[in-house]
Amino acid sequence: MPFDLAFCSRYPFSPQARQYVEQAGLSLTASVVEKAEARLRLALESGRIKKVADLPDAWQEELAVYACARMIASAANNRYLIGRYAVAEAKRAGEYLAIDDSVRQDYVEAVAEGFGIAFQKEGRQYSIPFWQYLAFTPRSYDYKLSNRQLKGGLVKVSRHERLRILEEAVRKRMEATLPIKAEFPAEVKEAAGRLLALLPRLEPISSNVGQENYPPCIRKMIEDLSLSLNLPHTGRVALAIYLVNAGLPQERIVEYFRHAPDFSEKTTTYQIEYIRRRKYSMPSCQTMDSYGLCVADCRCGNPLRFRDRIHGAILRRLEAERKGKE
Amino acid sequence: MGTVEGEGAKRAEDACPEERLIRKMFSSYYRSAHFEAPQIEKREFGFGGWEKKIEFRHIKAKSEAELRGRLVSEAPLYVSYSVAYYEFPDARPMVRKNWLSADLVFDLDAPQHTCGKFTCAECFEKVRQEAIRLIEDFLVPDFGFSRGEISVNFSGSRGYHLHIRSQSIQRLDREARREIADYICGVGVSFERFFWTEGKKLFGPTPSDGGYGGKFARAFMERLGDDEFCLSISRRLKSREEKDRLASSIMQGNWDSIGIAARERKLREKFEQMRLGMAGKIDANVTADISKLIRMPGSLHGGSGFAAVPVRSLEGFEPMRHAAVFLDGELRVKVAERVPALEVAGVRFGPLEQGECATLPMACAMYLLCKKAAVVA
Repeated sequence: MPFDLAFCSRYPFSPQARQYVEQAGLSLTASVVEKAEARLRLALESGRIKKVADLPDAWQEELAVYACARMIASAANNRYLIGRYAVAEAKRAGEYLAIDDSVRQDYVEAVAEGFGIAFQKEGRQYSIPFWQYLAFTPRSYDYKLSNRQLKGGLVKVSRHERLRILEEAVRKRMEATLPIKAEFPAEVKEAAGRLLALLPRLEPISSNVGQENYPPCIRKMIEDLSLSLNLPHTGRVALAIYLVNAGLPQERIVEYFRHAPDFSEKTTTYQIEYIRRRKYSMPSCQTMDSYGLCVADCRCGNPLRFRDRIHGAILRRLEAERKGKE
Repeated sequence: MGTVEGEGAKRAEDACPEERLIRKMFSSYYRSAHFEAPQIEKREFGFGGWEKKIEFRHIKAKSEAELRGRLVSEAPLYVSYSVAYYEFPDARPMVRKNWLSADLVFDLDAPQHTCGKFTCAECFEKVRQEAIRLIEDFLVPDFGFSRGEISVNFSGSRGYHLHIRSQSIQRLDREARREIADYICGVGVSFERFFWTEGKKLFGPTPSDGGYGGKFARAFMERLGDDEFCLSISRRLKSREEKDRLASSIMQGNWDSIGIAARERKLREKFEQMRLGMAGKIDANVTADISKLIRMPGSLHGGSGFAAVPVRSLEGFEPMRHAAVFLDGELRVKVAERVPALEVAGVRFGPLEQGECATLPMACAMYLLCKKAAVVA
């Protein structure tokens, strides 16, 4: 694709945009820093980023704002902020991809190419090499490889799924490339400081519902969430089902999810309500294991049956034996 | 380095005569053995002894010559290497190693059987068939690997290891590898994902489809030749014409060309009964483990005395014959437990009763010593 500023402003993470910025250089004007800070603040507060106005001047500035936002996020160097920002940038890209999918196919193709993802069109569907499919799809029931058409190393995906895969690729790229390690100008550091002050405070959640009886898998997921590590969809559902069954009130469960990088109070509340209403049953240990969520050999059959007195003791004994063996 | 200087020598004094003999034989084997360890400098090695399969780990070898030197001087009873490539293979804890990438591996073991520790020919044959099935029904047609990309290796004991070292899979994380294992085992496969209704019509997979839908359609078409199978679906399938009609409509993805009572329940039953996956045949934990230590191809297995030989063709491969290495000399042993009739390296011997003494060809004697079923007489 020949150089295209409109494309670059929509997809500022693309190699073409990066190359342009490298050549043209960046001027960090007060306005750019201000807009970059606003971009991050909006990402933090609402999980979204506004689209750019359809004007060549705005396109140019958008690239500077994006680069500056990355600098601020790097200066802040906070996992929660970076995670949340990555999700918002991915959503923004997703919105553009949805538009361009019907009018500018070449843009969508260029984005895919930028990530080295080789989609092939097959009728109304697309196919993608399975290793790329696995790298860029969420671990969820819908995307489970077992239920996919896999042939000759290629997985079939729908038009919509193709865009979701690209969105996930954006999120992963953002997370993998941030923070940038460099010394930043004072105004960038100041903006970072203001954003850090906005972050929710990490307070340990006290619970009287027998936390010692939480199985290792559940404790691990809670720990990951509190560190703002991204938990796959299956893990979130399992955790919510567990906590609902453990008898925790709604607000307390929502608190556990507050530090997830893509947290939205409304969605989380709704989803937990849904699980409660539909009386979802807890996945068995075997299912948990197949989702890669099982972390220990406690032999309780189902996380809900875990009792520290019994299964914790088994676990500690096995651990000791294993250590002895190694 | 993972071992403490001098420890090897001290251990040698404590060792029983059998262990000393086995180590002496292993040491001489390693002097000239061919082993396969691509990118040796990036792998972690683990050595095992008489009691444990991995006694020392976090071992690094800068070159094949260095590794050979250690194998000859220490003569470990088990040699494992990491499927992973690290920047610092000998660093610890694990995170300091800096994981770079990993081969994709599959571990197939012979089923548990009455033959117990003296794995019988029948069990070896079963696991050989499963290895062929894994390659021919999954890795090649579904995952698109070429046969040349798949290195098959005898595990040295009861099964096979498949190593895939292609660039494409090197960076896959634990969850992605778990998905691959789940696919092969058929974990999470659901009937509803492959069948749907439009109006009252039932549509489903065609034989040319990829994935479990296609597998089911192909298996179903094949079973249409079986009268009992047909009758369990519908009485109408007694007629040749109806059979053909159903078969040709399935080719188009239409599963409703002849009226089948309770069609969804019946098809679902068949779907589940056919066991299209390989659940229980491969160890999914091995595939998902991106830091797994696995038997080094070409190394010896201290529990059998066999070499974990690379298998160029599974066709006609017999571990008891083709993986035996100590073909010279003989040894007098006293049997410590009942040994069934066996054939090692083409030599038949036994059954032997507990306490019986026998002079056996070296390969047979080594097999019994390694199995801890005999002592030096």
